[in-house]
Amino acid sequence: MKAFIAFTKKEFTESLRTYRLVILAAVFLMLGVMSPLIAKIFPELFSGVDMGGGLTIIMPEPTVMDSWIQFFSNVGQMGMLALIISFSGIMANELSRGTLINLLTKGMKRHTVILSKFLSASTLWTASYLLCLAVCYAYTEYYWPGGVLHNAFFAFLAPWLFGEFLIALLILGGVLFGSYTGSLLSCFGVIVSMLILNIFPAAQKYNPIVLAGDTLQLLNAQKELPDFIPAAILCAASVVLLLALSVVAFNKKRI
Amino acid sequence: MNTLSVKELTKSFGANKVIDGISFDVPEGCIFGFIGANGAGKTTTMKMILGLLPSDSGEILVCGEKVSFGATKTNRHIGYLPDVPEFYGYMRPKEYLRLCGEIADLDSAENNRRVSELLDMVGLSEVNKKIGSFSRGMKQRLGMAQALLNEPKLLICDEPTSALDPAGRKEILDILKRIKGKTTVVFSTHILADVERICDRVAVLHKGKIVLEKAMDDLKIQHKSKSITLEYESEVDSDEILRVLGDNGLAPARVERADISIESLYLEVAK
Repeated sequence: MKAFIAFTKKEFTESLRTYRLVILAAVFLMLGVMSPLIAKIFPELFSGVDMGGGLTIIMPEPTVMDSWIQFFSNVGQMGMLALIISFSGIMANELSRGTLINLLTKGMKRHTVILSKFLSASTLWTASYLLCLAVCYAYTEYYWPGGVLHNAFFAFLAPWLFGEFLIALLILGGVLFGSYTGSLLSCFGVIVSMLILNIFPAAQKYNPIVLAGDTLQLLNAQKELPDFIPAAILCAASVVLLLALSVVAFNKKRI
Repeated sequence: MNTLSVKELTKSFGANKVIDGISFDVPEGCIFGFIGANGAGKTTTMKMILGLLPSDSGEILVCGEKVSFGATKTNRHIGYLPDVPEFYGYMRPKEYLRLCGEIADLDSAENNRRVSELLDMVGLSEVNKKIGSFSRGMKQRLGMAQALLNEPKLLICDEPTSALDPAGRKEILDILKRIKGKTTVVFSTHILADVERICDRVAVLHKGKIVLEKAMDDLKIQHKSKSITLEYESEVDSDEILRVLGDNGLAPARVERADISIESLYLEVAK
């Protein structure tokens, strides 16, 4: 336990001093501010623009939903990309540089490394996501007061859960390939496979990738909770499985 | 009692047999020189002793306990200095050693005491810059400090002096001399002069096998030297010396004029 606490402390110090924390916080703060702002300003910018030949763009008045459309699309794409880039090195860099050797030969258990890294990365991700959500919510409420949101808790939980899945995936990739590029590419590989799989309507219900942005349809009641539950369960189970696989693979890894 | 005991150890990488049934014992308190060319299998052997690499067959005992791959139980007896120790560059030396102490389960007061003691010993107590800007020699000394932090019974150093300049080498050897007797040391190298300076016992690893294993003293008696080195305070006429020797029936079989030792010169000017 002492080793776990010491190593987790080291993880946070690392995030702070290598600017990972600042970058993540800045990106997600920006996404939180941008989403309602774009929804508000975009139609105003283009409304009434004369396209020539008598064509004029007429934009509908933006609504509260436009702000959340921006939120889900920004977090689901740019946010996830920032998350992947920030955490691709957490396991891989230690292995490629050999910094764990001193600590493992002091008797630290190998699973401690995996669990501590997952915990610290998760904490950072959760905090960044909450910051983004809180800022976006506050601005949205300011521009369009009193908007009604259906199934808000689950709708907002879903992208967070998908982020946890990505972190676990990056850790496993790092253990298996031992390099930043290996971790990054294996993560992209899995995402691309999921996107391809999503072409088949039968798979959509179970595909964790739908959690990265599609739960917007819960907010405006286009879909119902049961449409996303199987994917959420599968995603949560995958996180546990990926971590277990990381521990097993790391125990067998030559260092 | 033997602090380290290696029995019939074998390891292959694919078809390449790197370690071929080696056995040796390291008695308590001894400085054991593990000699071999680059690629002879020294690092592989050390990593197996640390449980970082699986062996194909054979047995390793550290303080009487069996080493198993992946588990790190026996590592509580061991301090390890890798050939190129890697640290977190954003940390300061004191901070890094404290982290190591916490991981080695030292209590807080003991940890602080050991950290300042060791920083003193390796000459880094005044250094408070980030490890990222350390020179190789400083990193090696910090590596030595982290290896000795939990007062290990066995210290394993993988080529601790190979990458260092003569001054850095001397510092590391001096540290090893200082802990002699208290800690058992296994130290691999291909620099034979270092072995002569500090080792009690040596083993030579060649093509995966141990071709020689002896106590330094026995080695010197058995392989008694047939040569002597003469050194004069000022320049001498070597022909004159040879003539005197020859006249007295002591003509040598081979004569070599010694060049100035660059090492002693370097240490002189770079003081």
